[in-house]
Amino acid sequence: MSADLEFENLVRLYYRDLYRFGLSLTGSEADAADLTQETFYIWANKGHQLQNPASVKSWLFTTLHREFLKTCRRQNRFPSESIDERMEDLPNVPAECADRADSRTLLRILGEIAEDFRAPLVLYYMEDLSYKEIADVLALPLGTVQSRIARAKIQLLRRLSETNLSLEQAR
Amino acid sequence: MNTRIAKEILLLYRGPIDDSDPQFRAALDYAKSDRELGQWLREQSECYGTIRAKLRAIEPPPDLAEKIVRGRPIPFLRGWSRVGQLAAAIVISVSATVLLMNWSERRSRAIAGAQEILVTGEVLDMTCYIASNLSGPEHAKCARICIRSGEPAGIKAQDGKVYLLTGEPGQSINAKLADYAAQVVTIKGKQSVRDGFAQLQVEEIRKL
Repeated sequence: MSADLEFENLVRLYYRDLYRFGLSLTGSEADAADLTQETFYIWANKGHQLQNPASVKSWLFTTLHREFLKTCRRQNRFPSESIDERMEDLPNVPAECADRADSRTLLRILGEIAEDFRAPLVLYYMEDLSYKEIADVLALPLGTVQSRIARAKIQLLRRLSETNLSLEQAR
Repeated sequence: MNTRIAKEILLLYRGPIDDSDPQFRAALDYAKSDRELGQWLREQSECYGTIRAKLRAIEPPPDLAEKIVRGRPIPFLRGWSRVGQLAAAIVISVSATVLLMNWSERRSRAIAGAQEILVTGEVLDMTCYIASNLSGPEHAKCARICIRSGEPAGIKAQDGKVYLLTGEPGQSINAKLADYAAQVVTIKGKQSVRDGFAQLQVEEIRKL
């Protein structure tokens, strides 16, 4: 397979997932598209260094996240809130908790969660990677990743419940 | 295991993708025996599926893939061909260095065994002398310029024998000799002869 075709196939296989991850991180469609594009261009120049072809997907997610962090250092765009380190009470999750929130609302709520917690949570929901792979992508210990996902998930569910309540009260 | 611990573990459970993960096994078994926990797990799984579906419903701009493919940078030549080129360059460089060192060593040995002599005579610009038989005070200016610019220098002894003048191996002595161009001096140095051609490695210059 020619290098051009290989590159094109790789783009078509992963650009959607990378874009969604980028959008969840940045909250901006333009920034997500830029991050996705930049990730593939880094692949074009450095992808040959990857020794295990099976880990292409993790490599792409890792690269996108790294590029995002670089951008974050330059401009702190998201007014996010940190999450209390202690485990909060586990919420009773109504089955319809997320039914009323559309994708845009979901992204907005995700954007309000601190980046340290948001990135693992998004990867958790995208279900593309195992916990070990998520830990590798974010360069964090497995235990830290799982702890952050659990806390962020509770936070997300609480906010979704509050949003549902507001919508009901508005009726 | 109790309900609270099982809930904490199962909060991370995503469904079939995590079935092979041993950390969930005991909690899943426990949920089978606890009706309330089982119901909680079903609800949380349903909610997880809804959120996941909403995230996956997000579509990138329609032209994004095309834009990425069109704008693909042309990578520099790397990989094994590049490594091969670098390896070849290193081998050539090392070989050349070894050859140069051997040559220099042989030359040093040759000079080391050379005879030390004193030669008195006129400092020549060898290029003009051999090609055009130019020497003497009327050619001094030209000889100085030629020697300073790197042309080979020599000395014509009083017996008519001409020596090529050199410095230590790898070191030019032209700048020093240029000051004596067309003048008569005595040079102490090591003489070596090959194929009838005489060379004098300069150690000391004395102006008469």
